[in-house]
Amino acid sequence: MTVARDIPTSRSRARRVRGRPLLYTSYAQDMALLDTTAKRAWTFVLVVLAFSLAAILQDRSLEVLAGAYVMAIGAIGLNIVSGYAGQISLGHAFFVAIGAYTAAALSGPVDGRTIGFGLAEIWIWLPAAGVVAAVFGVIVAPLAARLRGLYLAVVTLGLVFLGEHVFKEWKSLTGGPGVGREAAVPELFGIRLNEDGPLGTGEQTMYVLTLALLIVFALAARNLARSRIGRAFAAIRDRDIAAEVMGVPLTRYKVLAFGISSFYAGCAGALLYSITGYVEPGSFSLLLSVQFIAMVLIGGVATVSGSIMGALFIVLIQPLTRSLPALLPVISSDTTVTPNVYQVETVLYGLLIILFLVFEPRGLFGIWIRARTYWKSWPFSY
Amino acid sequence: MTTATITGSQTIVTRIQERARRTPGAVAMRHKDYGVWQEIAWSEYWTNVELVAHALLALGVEAGDRIAVHSENRPEWLYADLGTVAVRGITVGLYPTNPAAEVAYLLSDSGAKILIAEDQEQVDKALEVIDECPALERIVYIEPRGIRGRYTDPRLLHWDEFLFLGLEHRDAHPDALAERMAQAQGSDVVTLIYTSGTTGPPKGVMLTVDNVEFAIRTLILGGGFTSPPPSERDLILSYLPLCHVAERAFTVWFNAAAGVQVNFAESIETVQANLREVQPTILFGVPRIWEKVLAQVTIKLESASWLKRVTTRFWLRVADRIGDELVRTGGTHTAWTRVRYAVGWLLCYRALRERLGMRRVRYAASGAAPIAPDVLKFFMGIGVRMHEVYGMSENTAIATANRPGRVKLGTVGEPHPGVELRIDEQTGEILTRHPGTFAGYWGKPEATADVVDADGWLHTGDVGEWVDGTHVRITDRMKDIIITAGGKNVAPSEIENALKASPYIKEAIVVGDRRPYLTALIGIEMDTVGEWARRRGLPYTTYRDLSDKPEVRELVQGVVDSVNSRFARVEQIKRFSFLPKELDHEDGELTATQKVKRRAIAKLFEEQVEGMYR
Repeated sequence: MTVARDIPTSRSRARRVRGRPLLYTSYAQDMALLDTTAKRAWTFVLVVLAFSLAAILQDRSLEVLAGAYVMAIGAIGLNIVSGYAGQISLGHAFFVAIGAYTAAALSGPVDGRTIGFGLAEIWIWLPAAGVVAAVFGVIVAPLAARLRGLYLAVVTLGLVFLGEHVFKEWKSLTGGPGVGREAAVPELFGIRLNEDGPLGTGEQTMYVLTLALLIVFALAARNLARSRIGRAFAAIRDRDIAAEVMGVPLTRYKVLAFGISSFYAGCAGALLYSITGYVEPGSFSLLLSVQFIAMVLIGGVATVSGSIMGALFIVLIQPLTRSLPALLPVISSDTTVTPNVYQVETVLYGLLIILFLVFEPRGLFGIWIRARTYWKSWPFSY
Repeated sequence: MTTATITGSQTIVTRIQERARRTPGAVAMRHKDYGVWQEIAWSEYWTNVELVAHALLALGVEAGDRIAVHSENRPEWLYADLGTVAVRGITVGLYPTNPAAEVAYLLSDSGAKILIAEDQEQVDKALEVIDECPALERIVYIEPRGIRGRYTDPRLLHWDEFLFLGLEHRDAHPDALAERMAQAQGSDVVTLIYTSGTTGPPKGVMLTVDNVEFAIRTLILGGGFTSPPPSERDLILSYLPLCHVAERAFTVWFNAAAGVQVNFAESIETVQANLREVQPTILFGVPRIWEKVLAQVTIKLESASWLKRVTTRFWLRVADRIGDELVRTGGTHTAWTRVRYAVGWLLCYRALRERLGMRRVRYAASGAAPIAPDVLKFFMGIGVRMHEVYGMSENTAIATANRPGRVKLGTVGEPHPGVELRIDEQTGEILTRHPGTFAGYWGKPEATADVVDADGWLHTGDVGEWVDGTHVRITDRMKDIIITAGGKNVAPSEIENALKASPYIKEAIVVGDRRPYLTALIGIEMDTVGEWARRRGLPYTTYRDLSDKPEVRELVQGVVDSVNSRFARVEQIKRFSFLPKELDHEDGELTATQKVKRRAIAKLFEEQVEGMYR
């Protein structure tokens, strides 16, 4: 309606109407991440609580949690490509490795046993690790444009074996199997973050750093998911032919999905080993990929908070399984004996994946949603 | 924006102009478009009204010309109405459900010069009967889909072109509108409200500027309904037909006089969802709406999970007792009801009201037809301040209302201040006299003389009585009173409403005039009975199939028995039979306001009725 549209309005920017959470007067409100006061308040409480843990918990626990946060970044990455865009990837460990070695090589000593460039500043090696991994993701992506489902899974599986072999053989970069090399050194403006310093103990600093980074990455992923790109991903996941008919360029978005996902994986890889300080080429096996898949499936497919929940879940059951030998003498903590805890862990991941897929396909997030819907629909059932 | 100096009478138009000047950026109304509630500011509202008015001037509309509006509730309805009043025209509202034959009658009876039709459906109706309406010169359509580029009738005009006419006219004659508005007089007729016509063809009730201004002073600014009076912070959901005096008052007049924000529901089917979104503070409904909400609560509760069902049932029983208490006190809480309500609010009422879209309702009203007290009590119990009000088109909806805190259940309340109301000693008919009494039926002076006597008393046609000397209770419509063969006078509506308070019964028509006993034609509520049958594993196909089931008959018999137990022997329903179909406006069984046309029904379902007396 041309005339009607030309009528000037003196109304100011659309605002929320107080006390009416469902009354949206603009799309921005409809799309807002934290659209109600209650959500804002609870998110704030949660974030404050998470940060305050740095002062409450023991350093040992902080290290485990920091590892979990980094794994969560990796899981979010896998969720972008497999959850949002629906492209099954078993090769996540490969991209994590690329990130870990890029960062390690950049920050390593120039005259060391392995390749090093002496750039220990985190703001250099972290983005670099992501970018290099993303480049590999983009290289692999065209395969995804041609393959679907099972075939794509097999191809990405091949990546893991390929990578494992290369990393084991390329001793000047990785130090070789069983030997390994020092990982990326987290340094910010000359301050070593993983050592005790003015900001607290090394573990406390790393905990705060990883938490902050997790929030940044999670927010970025949430924003991506609600953007045009996120909608295109969902369209491809639900039916690629239909998406193409609607005008979603498949190749471009599949490449984008792999690129972004690999960026997350690369960053996660770089950070993960900078916590422990040591990286061994044998760690980037299929088991790592399976761990990420377990996080996504247990946490919740195509949800960011689900990925975080899944990562926390998987990482936090490790201390439990590690204490198994003390309770059940049958299970050994020695890798050469069968059954050992690591085998038990692998079996447990598989079991959890099966159980979740059968009983709660939407993962931990689905359980949360179910609980929330139960109370939201009170006093009715729908 | 041209600023007209106000020299004529104050009208709803000058009120809006004034608001656009004082608070141009504040929200006047919202309508849902593309999934988002689009806001319309007062300045936009006024500009649109101005353009419509200029467009009407451009089309040669003179004072007293009739402009018909045939549309669902939407901003354009208000622009058209206000634009018409601005040029001293008369707005005639048509129900969107009016079939072509009724459209022909309304257009020709009112002699409308311009028709503003919403979409292809309404345009088609008008074009079908255009030969019977010689006065009709132009049809302005709002939604172009299916019309533009396909229809070639020269009388058609798109809303956009219509506004463009206004734009050109405003540029050429910037003062024309102000001059026309300055001529406005108190005796100008602003609208024709057609009666629903349960007994004969609808009659156009002429309401004047003075009538409307009196209604605004009494009902809105004077706090005749809400207390405290409505303000700019109040929200309202507009969903009932605007051609009815009640919705016109709540939408157009509340908005113009008090600045209440109007939110237009997407359609009558989405009212439930829209209520949840808007959470209005003032809510008006006809009995059918309240009954339907109550039925919905019943269905949803029955399909809820065990814990929810048990707790909610418990709290609804508590609400029932709170409701009883409130009925005794006239709507004021006692300490004990407050405590119970507070606990129930946490566990049930808050969530329930939120789901119903009544969390923030500070004033709810039922009117336009009689309602069963039990339905009102339910809402009072869960904390919705419910008030039954009474009025009719002929007295600009001003007669009586239950005031907050002085509610008497089963009555329609106390007369408003400035309203003279008496009950005729012989006939028991309610008579009103005040400045809101209408100017007459359009083109029917004899009919006017029948209802307004020489002293200015309006004969409402309702039989009533005083309760405690302050409140008025309405027995029934005078014409509907049943005199049984035994000579007893029975008011059918009371029995019918008691039946309709059951979630399983949608329609109930009590028959028994000059018959040995009372019987009823009953129509089941498809949703609830269907759900009931489903849970019992009863397969059914159609409405008819469902109502023919012996189990359903048993269910309804139970309802009838429980209602009978509350009435005297002569007022009990001895037999009943089911209506073989759902009543419908199109088939001439209901009026546009969903009121039952008793005469038509008695004729259509003669067989069923006779069957019950055999």
